[in-house]
Amino acid sequence: MESVFGLVGADFALVVADSSAVHSILVHKSNEDKIMVLDSHKLLGASGESGDRAQFTEYIQKNVALYQFRNGIPLTTAAAANFTRGELATALRKNPYSVNILMAGYDKGTGPSLYYIDYIASLHKVEKGAFGYGSYFSLAMMDRHYRKDMTVEEAVELVDKCIIEIRSRLVVAPPNFVIKIVDKDGAREYAWRESIKDTSVPTA
Amino acid sequence: MGDSQYSFSLTTFSPSGKLVQIEHALTAVGSGQTSLGIKGKINLVALCHQCCYCYIEVVGMLVANIELLMIPSYVRSVIAAANGVVIATEKKLPSILVDETSVQKIQILTPNIGVVYSGMGPDSRVLVRKSRKQAEQYQRLYKEPIPVTQLVRETATVMQEFTQSGGVRPFGVSLLVAGYDDKGPQLYQVDPSGSYFSWKASAMGKNVSNAKAFLEKRYTDDMELDDAVHTAILTLKEGVLTPAEIEDYLQEVE
Amino acid sequence: MSIFEYNGSALVAMVGKNCFAIASDRRLGVQLQTVATDFQRIFKIHDKLFVGLSGLATDAQTLYQRLVFRHKLYQLREERDMKPETFASLVSAILYEKRFGPYFCQPVIAGLGDEDKPFICTMDSIGAKELAKDFVVAGTASESLYGACESMFKPDMEPEELFETISQALLSSVDRDCLSGWGGHVYVVTPTEVTERILKGRMD
Repeated sequence: MESVFGLVGADFALVVADSSAVHSILVHKSNEDKIMVLDSHKLLGASGESGDRAQFTEYIQKNVALYQFRNGIPLTTAAAANFTRGELATALRKNPYSVNILMAGYDKGTGPSLYYIDYIASLHKVEKGAFGYGSYFSLAMMDRHYRKDMTVEEAVELVDKCIIEIRSRLVVAPPNFVIKIVDKDGAREYAWRESIKDTSVPTA
Repeated sequence: MGDSQYSFSLTTFSPSGKLVQIEHALTAVGSGQTSLGIKGKINLVALCHQCCYCYIEVVGMLVANIELLMIPSYVRSVIAAANGVVIATEKKLPSILVDETSVQKIQILTPNIGVVYSGMGPDSRVLVRKSRKQAEQYQRLYKEPIPVTQLVRETATVMQEFTQSGGVRPFGVSLLVAGYDDKGPQLYQVDPSGSYFSWKASAMGKNVSNAKAFLEKRYTDDMELDDAVHTAILTLKEGVLTPAEIEDYLQEVE
Repeated sequence: MSIFEYNGSALVAMVGKNCFAIASDRRLGVQLQTVATDFQRIFKIHDKLFVGLSGLATDAQTLYQRLVFRHKLYQLREERDMKPETFASLVSAILYEKRFGPYFCQPVIAGLGDEDKPFICTMDSIGAKELAKDFVVAGTASESLYGACESMFKPDMEPEELFETISQALLSSVDRDCLSGWGGHVYVVTPTEVTERILKGRMD
């Protein structure tokens, strides 16, 4: 089942997400990318109802882009996170989205940051955060091994530890994960951790 | 379009930068019955003066935390030791056949704020109704009486809106709002344009310039309230009576 | 499970001699899982007025934003700070506005009023005020807080003693509550200064 987690390192933040699209007992897809590159220096990892996730993350992305078009400057990660919380909170008492969000970003001056926003719109700035069934394992691993001054390599090593733990201890463990990173050079995909490949569909 | 080609819409500026409808509203005020206000030392009194029949009507003595008094007789009975603000107005009735008790030109907005107008009576009722509602809303939100400045601003906002909205005309009244709150006694004048000023003493309506000149002469900073009441009456009387008559009148009051 | 207990919280305010103290725990949880241990539930409205919002974290954040908004408008309009009694009425009115879809928060308001007279009060989630002379409590640890405060409170304490008392009451209470704890946040407010202290408690 769903696992999204992330952490802030020395001069970067990273977000990890499983890549399974599951409905009921069926796995529809195992290479679904649940981490959106929100803008040049932001990542938006999301879990929850897949329709809501797709709709809401895109809505946020487009609005953040609109702000940048209109004002010629990008939103800071803190501003984008507060905007996202605001949208989620207004929706909460009308037609709520069930999406949990980890927003990672890098800003000049403030450096890397990670924001935890759950589906009821509780917002909190964290060093490490996680959603879904995987959180029981990833949070524990991160509590044990996390340091503020981790390098990318150390952090990815910790991420791998988390993934191993999820794969070995969670009954409904997802097979594949994607890792994305944001630092001063921007937001990008870092690596995949795949234990199965989707079989390619023969062209008709 | 007798006046000018710019009077067709009240929201259109004339080339000289004036809104003529507002000027006309001020004219209506200027030809209305005289009202005045004087700030004394601490507390507050509102009074209404019926000129023709030498009736002085004190509508209320408004002191913080003191119930409103309605005393339709001579001023002396309510003066007691109170200091504050006096507002007074000429109450000239069109005929002696009018029941003078049915005319109330000074109105109470909250237990600590009263208002008097010069100009068109019916217009003032609209403002009084809106102001009372505003005061009540404030009270309901904060469980605390509305400060005079706040109520004046709200009222002035309404008056300004009526200079810019469609389908309405400016109010043909100026208001004198007198009140007492944490900041002590206060006196404000609000005009049809929505502008408002705080005064130590002010007058409006017919004979403004005379009344203001008179007030300037008589006003002092340490005025006791009964002095203020006297001055108020004298100022109103000044437009109507001869000095000898005023003298007689004063003796009668004392 | 009550929605008021979803995130867990402990909140207490006490009156001293010409001063008051307000304290809360620091845990942000999602049911039994701890998400963060540096959550903020007490907010400064102005130098002599604080509000604590127990209950659902998202609603605490939304409500705080609305209260700050309303208070800033009031400050601009009336050129003065709000009296604690007035602020309490405002909070009450804002809560009752949502009578049939309430914010799941129980606020605690503490401030110094005219002549620096301490004022504390709490209310339920739909704005029914409850004034107290000595102390008020709220949150998932409220039962244990009642007990602790009842036995530890003395009238007319000086700021130093008040700090000690409220801190001990808070720490001993959250140890008997699964949903709150992870240290505390204490403000002691006198007419001349505001002291803010972070407490370490049982960090488990």
